[in-house]
Amino acid sequence: MRNILVVAYSILLGLFLTVGVNAQTIKNPGVLVHAADDEATTLDPAQVEAGEGGETVILQVYDRLLEFGPSGPELIPGLATTVPSVENGMISDDGMTYTFEIRKGAVFHDGTDVTAEDVKFSWDRIVEMDLPEGQAGVISDIVAETQAVDDYTFQVTLLEPSASFLNSTVVSMAASIVSKDAVMANGGVVEGEPNEYMAQNAVGSGPYKLKAWNRGENILLDINENYWGNKAKLAARIEIGAEPDVRVLGLRAGNYDTIETDPSFVADIEGADGVTLHTGGLLLEPIHVGFNLNIPEGALPKEDTIPTDFFHDPRIRQAFNYAFDYEAFLYGPLAGFGEFNPHYLPIGIFGHDPDAPRYGAQDKAKAEELFRAAGYWDNGFSVSVITEEANLFADAALVLKDSIEDLNPNFRINVLAVAEAVFDEAHAQNPVEYAMWVKNADPFADPHPYMSAYQHPDGEWGEVHGFANGYRNPEKIAELIDGASTELDVKKRAAMYSELQKMLFDDPMWLITAQEGVTMAYREWVTGFVHNPLWPRPSLRFSYLGK
Amino acid sequence: MQIRDYIIRRLMILPILIIGTSIIVFALTRIGGSPIGIYLSHEMSPAEVQEMKERFHLDKPVPVQYFYWIKGVSQGDLGWSGVASAPVVDVFPKKFAATMELAIAAGIVAVSLGIAMGTFAGARRNKISDHIIRVVSVSGASMPLFWFAILLLIIFWVWLGWFPIGRSDPNLFEAIPHPTGFYTIDALLAGNFSAFRDAIWHLIMPAVALGYGATAIIARMMRSSLIEELQEDYVDAAKAKGLAERVVLKKHARRNALVPTVTVIGLTFGFLLQGTVVAEIIFRWPGLGRWMASAVLRGDQATIMTYVMFTSILFLFVNLVVDIIYAYLDRRVVLGD
Repeated sequence: MRNILVVAYSILLGLFLTVGVNAQTIKNPGVLVHAADDEATTLDPAQVEAGEGGETVILQVYDRLLEFGPSGPELIPGLATTVPSVENGMISDDGMTYTFEIRKGAVFHDGTDVTAEDVKFSWDRIVEMDLPEGQAGVISDIVAETQAVDDYTFQVTLLEPSASFLNSTVVSMAASIVSKDAVMANGGVVEGEPNEYMAQNAVGSGPYKLKAWNRGENILLDINENYWGNKAKLAARIEIGAEPDVRVLGLRAGNYDTIETDPSFVADIEGADGVTLHTGGLLLEPIHVGFNLNIPEGALPKEDTIPTDFFHDPRIRQAFNYAFDYEAFLYGPLAGFGEFNPHYLPIGIFGHDPDAPRYGAQDKAKAEELFRAAGYWDNGFSVSVITEEANLFADAALVLKDSIEDLNPNFRINVLAVAEAVFDEAHAQNPVEYAMWVKNADPFADPHPYMSAYQHPDGEWGEVHGFANGYRNPEKIAELIDGASTELDVKKRAAMYSELQKMLFDDPMWLITAQEGVTMAYREWVTGFVHNPLWPRPSLRFSYLGK
Repeated sequence: MQIRDYIIRRLMILPILIIGTSIIVFALTRIGGSPIGIYLSHEMSPAEVQEMKERFHLDKPVPVQYFYWIKGVSQGDLGWSGVASAPVVDVFPKKFAATMELAIAAGIVAVSLGIAMGTFAGARRNKISDHIIRVVSVSGASMPLFWFAILLLIIFWVWLGWFPIGRSDPNLFEAIPHPTGFYTIDALLAGNFSAFRDAIWHLIMPAVALGYGATAIIARMMRSSLIEELQEDYVDAAKAKGLAERVVLKKHARRNALVPTVTVIGLTFGFLLQGTVVAEIIFRWPGLGRWMASAVLRGDQATIMTYVMFTSILFLFVNLVVDIIYAYLDRRVVLGD
């Protein structure tokens, strides 16, 4: 018996000591192991969707002319040696022509030199392919002409002056520079057809080279020893598809160096030995509830009792904004990591006016007053909101349901939480056949894409949702958004966005539930950690990190 | 009718059955809605959605879509897996091999442990070792796989760091060719012992998690069969002839006790294949189960249809083989009596 106890105690002690050693010993030396949420769809800059997993890899293996630096929206040179400005003469006085000096000595992973012709080819290619899943519009909506003036000078002429060209087009993953030789040797450029070689390989000039992509398992990146800039310190391995709990366990065990997570896992990570929780900053993807002002007759679910012009009345939209329990969402699903975001311009984006009138606090009395004035208080209504299942969007929809139904027992919100593919199909309809839906916006570095896509009466969502049916003064809103996009005077531009925010408070087309906070976790042995929400998720440039 | 004619007749019916199955599979998946969602992003304009529909022929009527699909299948094009971001035909063999490798490894764990434990317990009926094995067996049969798998993960991956998750060290995996898709076999064929050890090392945790439940069933069956055999007259006769207890057990009783156990082992393999879904998700094993679970959740119909068609055709062939065996064994089957 005594022997059994000795063995048992020895095992327990060994177990305890092993855990202690694990906390101190750097695992996977020489390799940064990042546990990602899901699989990339494509590695081709001409095909990748904004915010999709492929952008994570494209950021590391390709260069762009300019990049976002490590601390916010400041631009730093990439393959262009200088950030163009009117002062240095690389932006013409009329704001129509931009000149980029291409870095000499930069080489692609296939060994060919990077030249202005490659840059022109890369930009023209995405416009020529014009893939529906890609981001051709990032270039074609703003660029009139590209020109390789000589081997190392690239010039762009715009359709009209643009205040957002450098920090929305030039830095976008779609504008990454690919090797012309590699593309032409592997399928070339065909209008409307993806290039299978480029979808599965990467021939860029970035600090990493693609070593292997084992689907469902991992993506391996080797250090590019011929990189023109600071070489990466570690090779990188992106582990794909581990369950969120497994990612957290792997981080705690030291098997992963960085992981993608969300606020619901903070409690499991906080205080863990050898783990740092990074919670500084905010994501630039407001979580929003869309109001549909363009509902086709007979399209709504049979439970819905609202008329198709329900949201045409700004008082209804305001009432929803006043009724939402912002605190319940921020301190519930977001675990306190985030901010009440009153406007469509997120905190941290140029033009965000902290003094503009805001919602962001529940006001039941005001909501009741508006619902009464609109004539819905006594008889009530029933309306459905569609969302993806089992994520923050579904949580936001449930908070909306609680908020509205708590206000008046005659009000009914039906939350339709569906599979991602079902939601994407419903969401991509025009017109959308639901009165409301919940999702997040795409992140941008400039205010114009937010305003253009989400507020302009003729913009992407303005057209689909029929904003012109509801805005009190759609012409004025369109004029301000269009004007701000071409206004190069910073103060005037900021004033225009400030005015827009005041107008959109009175005439809201969205209910913005919150601006989610950053919750990244990494091992303490990771050095040089920097996180910039303007980089594609997980907002890390692996080449900056060591351990 | 001759057996040969019977086989020919059955073989002629087989393509009709396969086409019928394909129509049913296609129709059933389409009842769940159009598969277009998996290819869309929320940024797409209606015109771009239409382009995507045209690219995948989803703008056509459903019967026409079926003909495009079956034409593709006949040419080896099983469609595009939105979950794997690759053609299904490229991914399926790799995932299938990974799952089979795991199921076989779990089967080896279950059979070797189950028979050993069952024999040990049966030979020591009602002794302390029998009771311990009974407890271990009942635990294996009653513990949910997901719970046991997470327990192993926490102890051996997180705390002790003894075993990895996933299928391989990517550098070792990349270093060898993969003619069979079975990492263990490929490593041996390549003569790369480090890769072989890596393959075994990655297999241990999921195989034990998956095999433990089956171990319990096999051990219980082996124990009770052995106890029955040990009570037979021939055992007493063998002992009376002076054969050693160990020889009687191993050469006579255990061999006979294996007959019903082998039947259970056969049935257990199906149980192991089902369990791979959970084990693959928890241990990040890149096999069919995990792929299929993601495909179902995300509505990846090309992947789902391939999997369902594959298993359907497999069953059709298995049934064919079984029927032929019956025909050999019982002529009345051929004569239609």
